Amino acid sequence: MAKQLGFLVDTEKCIGCFSCEMACKNEYQTEVKPRWRRVYQLREASLPYPERNFISLACHHCADPACLKVCPVGAYSKREDGIVLHDHARCIGCRLCTMACPYGAPQYNEKERRVEKCNLCYQKIDRNEEPACVAACPVGALQLIRDLNSFPEPSTVKELPGFPDITITRPSIRFVPPRAGVQMRRDV
Amino acid sequence: MPYQLTRRSFLKGLAAGSALSALTAYGGLKMATPAAAVEAGYPEAGAGAKVFRNVCPRNCYDTCSMLSYVKDGVLRKVSGDPVNTFTNGRLCVKGYTYTRRVYSPDRLKYPMKQEPRGSGKWQRISWDEALEIIARKILAIKKEYGSTLPICLNKYSGNFDILHYGIEGMMSSIGYTTRALGTPCWPAGIDAQTYDFGTLWNNDPEDLVNSRYIILWGVNPAWTSIHSMRFIYAAREQGAKIVVIDPIVTATASKADLYLQIKPSTDGALALGMARHILDNGWVDGEYLKANAVGWEEFFAYLRREVTLDWASRITGIPARVIADLAREYATTKPAAIWIGYGMQRHTNGGQNVRAIDALAAITGNVGKSGGGALYGHLETWGFNYAAMTMPKPPGAVGVKKPDGTMSDRYININNFGADLLNTTDPPIKMLWIACRNPLSQDPEPQVVQKAFENMDLVVTVDHFLTRTAAWSDIVLPATTQFEEHGVNASYWHYWIGINEQAIEPYFEAKNDVQIAMLLAAKLNALEPGSCTYPTSGNLEEWVGKEFNPKILDLLGISDYSELKKGPRKAKLLTAAWSDGKFRTPSGKIEIKSSEAPKYGLPALPVYVPEKQASPEYPYRFLTPHSPYGIHSQFQNIDWMQNVNPEPYVEIHPATAAAKGIKDGDWVKVYNEIGYVTLKARITATTAPEILVAYEAWYKDLNYNLNYTVKAVPSDMGKKATGNRGLAFHDNFVNIEKVR
Repeated sequence: MAKQLGFLVDTEKCIGCFSCEMACKNEYQTEVKPRWRRVYQLREASLPYPERNFISLACHHCADPACLKVCPVGAYSKREDGIVLHDHARCIGCRLCTMACPYGAPQYNEKERRVEKCNLCYQKIDRNEEPACVAACPVGALQLIRDLNSFPEPSTVKELPGFPDITITRPSIRFVPPRAGVQMRRDV
Repeated sequence: MPYQLTRRSFLKGLAAGSALSALTAYGGLKMATPAAAVEAGYPEAGAGAKVFRNVCPRNCYDTCSMLSYVKDGVLRKVSGDPVNTFTNGRLCVKGYTYTRRVYSPDRLKYPMKQEPRGSGKWQRISWDEALEIIARKILAIKKEYGSTLPICLNKYSGNFDILHYGIEGMMSSIGYTTRALGTPCWPAGIDAQTYDFGTLWNNDPEDLVNSRYIILWGVNPAWTSIHSMRFIYAAREQGAKIVVIDPIVTATASKADLYLQIKPSTDGALALGMARHILDNGWVDGEYLKANAVGWEEFFAYLRREVTLDWASRITGIPARVIADLAREYATTKPAAIWIGYGMQRHTNGGQNVRAIDALAAITGNVGKSGGGALYGHLETWGFNYAAMTMPKPPGAVGVKKPDGTMSDRYININNFGADLLNTTDPPIKMLWIACRNPLSQDPEPQVVQKAFENMDLVVTVDHFLTRTAAWSDIVLPATTQFEEHGVNASYWHYWIGINEQAIEPYFEAKNDVQIAMLLAAKLNALEPGSCTYPTSGNLEEWVGKEFNPKILDLLGISDYSELKKGPRKAKLLTAAWSDGKFRTPSGKIEIKSSEAPKYGLPALPVYVPEKQASPEYPYRFLTPHSPYGIHSQFQNIDWMQNVNPEPYVEIHPATAAAKGIKDGDWVKVYNEIGYVTLKARITATTAPEILVAYEAWYKDLNYNLNYTVKAVPSDMGKKATGNRGLAFHDNFVNIEKVR
C-alpha cells in the first residue's frame, strides 16, 4: 500500500487552547475567514460527563479524497506520501470541492475567489520538519502519523461521536478518545 | 473607503518608511484591512526572514520567549523560542496573532486629539503638538495648585516589560504626583504568602514533573498557562494523580483524574477540613514543623476545637468521605504539589483561604520540596535596577507630607479608581495619564470611572488601540509593540529572563514609554527650565543595559546583558522554593500563626472566615474568569481572534435555565443594582446551578463589559505587600432574565 501521512488527535490531552489553529494562520498569514485548521468543542450530550473536550481538525488528506474526484480543472493532486494538494493557480473557484468534502476542509476565499485548504505543510514535511500546527501544540495532543499503514490502530479510534461517515473518503485521521476522570459535582 | 490596499502594497509602504502616512489621515482608523496576498502554493510566511528575539510582555504566567521573522522590514510571522525549556518553542493562541496585532488597521498611528472628550471627533496632531498641550497643562497645574499632585498616573499590566516603567519615571521626574496604587489581580494571595513565608515564591514550574500528586486549586492552566500543562501531563505519565478543585468544570478540570466542584470562596474550609483529618490520622510531618514552622500547636488546637469533616462538607458542598480521601491521598503521597490559582483569592476571604492552603502544605512537609510546594507566583527574578523608573524630583517639588517631615507621592486605590478620583481633594485630581491599562473596560464600576474622567481637565492615554479608555481621553498617544522596541522581561511564574530586540521600525509614529518620557522632558524643560529631571537622550538598548546589575547578571550566569541576544536564560534559583529553609518572616520560619497579620486587622491563624452569601434579589454568583482568547482587554479585538471567538456568551446550568425559561442561544440580561450586560445563553452543566460564568474581554465593536455588574468590593488582603487590598471580582451577585 502507498504511504499515507495523517494526523493523530489525542482528545484526552487536547486542552482547547487553539494554538494549533492560530499557528497555522501565523505560518501562512492567511485571510481572516478561512480556517484551514479548526478546534471544535465536543458536545456535552455525547459524553458521559459535562466536560470541555476538544478536537482539532484540518484537511484529513483522505485515502479517497472527494475534493480531488469532483474538481473539474484538476486543481487537486495526491502526493506519494498521501498529502492532498490544492493548486491555487488552477482553481476557478467553482466550489464543487467545498460541497463534496464531508469535513469542510476546502474553504472558499471570497476575496481571492478561490478555494484553499491545509496542505499539511508539505514544504516542512519535505524538510523532515513537523507541520506548524503539530509543532505548536504545547501538550503533544496533535501529532503527525508518518505512515498510517504501519500505525498501531488498536490504540486509537477512527471517529468520534458526530464525526461524518468515514467510509465515503477514508480520512487519514485517528483519535485517542477522551477518558473521563472522576467528577464530584454539586448538581448530581 | 477611498481605496483598497493589498497586503503587498501595504507592506511595501511600511518598508519604505511611512509612505502611507501622507495618504491616511486619521479616520483611516477604519482603513482597509490589509488583504493577504494569496499565491499559488501559499509560501511560508517566515521564509528567508531574519530572526530576532522577543518576549511576550502581556502579564501572563508563561511570558513566552518568542522569535520574530522579519523580511524587508516587515514582521512576517512569530514563533516560540525553543531555547526556553518552559515555553518550549510554542506560543498560545494570542501569541500567534501578533502579526495581526502589529499591522492591525485599527492600531493607533499618530498622536490624536479629541474635542470634546468622548465625542469621537478626533484630529490627528503631531507629537510636538501633543507634548506641548500636555506640558503646558502640567505647568499650569503646578502653578495653580503649587504642586503636581493633581496629576494622576494609572499604569499597570498591559506591558510588563521593564522599560515600560519609564512612565512611572516620567511622573517622578516632574515632581510628586498621585499614583493608582495596588494590583487588581493577585494581592490577597501575595499577602497570604507574605504572612506565611515572608514573600511569595514558587518552585520552578518545570519541577512539577517531579510531583506524585498535584492539586490545581482555583487555576485553569489549560487556558491561562498552557505551557504548564506539559509538566503536569509528564507527572501524570509517571504516575502522579491530578486533582482539580474549582467551582467550574474548566478545560483543566476535564483533564483531571479527580475533579471537585467546590462552592466558590469556601476553599479555606476544604483545606482546614483536610488538615483536621490529617491531624487526626497522624499524617502530620512533625519533624518538618519543628524545624521550620511556628504556631502549629495553636493551629492544631483550633482545628480540634472548631473544624470537622462534616463542617467542611457543609460549607464546601463536597461530601465528607471525599474530603477524607483527598486528605489521605495528599498527606501520604510524597511529594505533593498544590498550585494555588488567582481565581480563589478574588473573594472577601480570599487571602485567608490561601493561608489555610499554605498551612496544609506546611503541616504535611511539602513546602521546600522538589515536586511539592504551595505554588502561587514569585518575584525572585525581578531584581532589576528600574533605571527607567527611578528619577530624582526637580528642585522645589511639593508632595504629601509624611509624619517624619519628608514628602511623598499621593496614592489612591487602583481597585477603586473611579471613586477615589472623585473623592480626592486638596488638591483635586485634574489630569490623568493612563498607560498599559484600560480601566474603563477592566475596572469595577466602570460607570463611576467614566464619571470621574468627566471631571478631568486633561486625560492622556498611551495605547495600541482606541480602547474604551482611549475613547474617553483628550489625547491618545500611539505605543510601540515589543517588536518595535528594546526591552527586558521576567516572569512571575517560571524562572526565565529574556531580552527583547527591536525587530522592526515602529508602526507609523508609535513610541515606547521611555521615549515619550524623554520627549516630554525636553518639552517641559524648554518651556520651564529645570521642571523635569528625566534624561532627554539615549537609545532604548542603552536603557536596557542600565537595568542590569551584578546580582541579576550572576543569577543568569552572564557577564553582560547583551549575552541575552543569544537566547533567554534561566535564573539560578533553588528549584524548590524555600528548600534552604530561610523563610523571610519575622521569625525566619513558616508562620502558621502570623505575627504580622494582626497588625493589619487579620486573624493570626488561618481560621475560616465565612464566604459572602447571595441575596434573595441577586441569587446567582457571576464568575468572570479569563478566556483563552484574551488577556484582560487585550487580543479579542484582533480580527483573527474575532474569527475563532466571534461573540460572548454566559454559561448557565440546565436546571437554572429551565427554571428561568431560558434556552440555548437565547439572549439574556445579567444584572444587579449597579448595572447589567446582555449576552447569549449557553446551557451547560460545566457550571453549577447557582453560578453564571462569562469570560472577560474587550470586543471592540460590542458594548460588552462584564464589569458593569462588578462592585468595588475589596478582598481581605493586599495592603501589606502591594499597598492596597485586592478586588473581590468573584463576589459578584446578580439575577438573570431572558430578554428575547
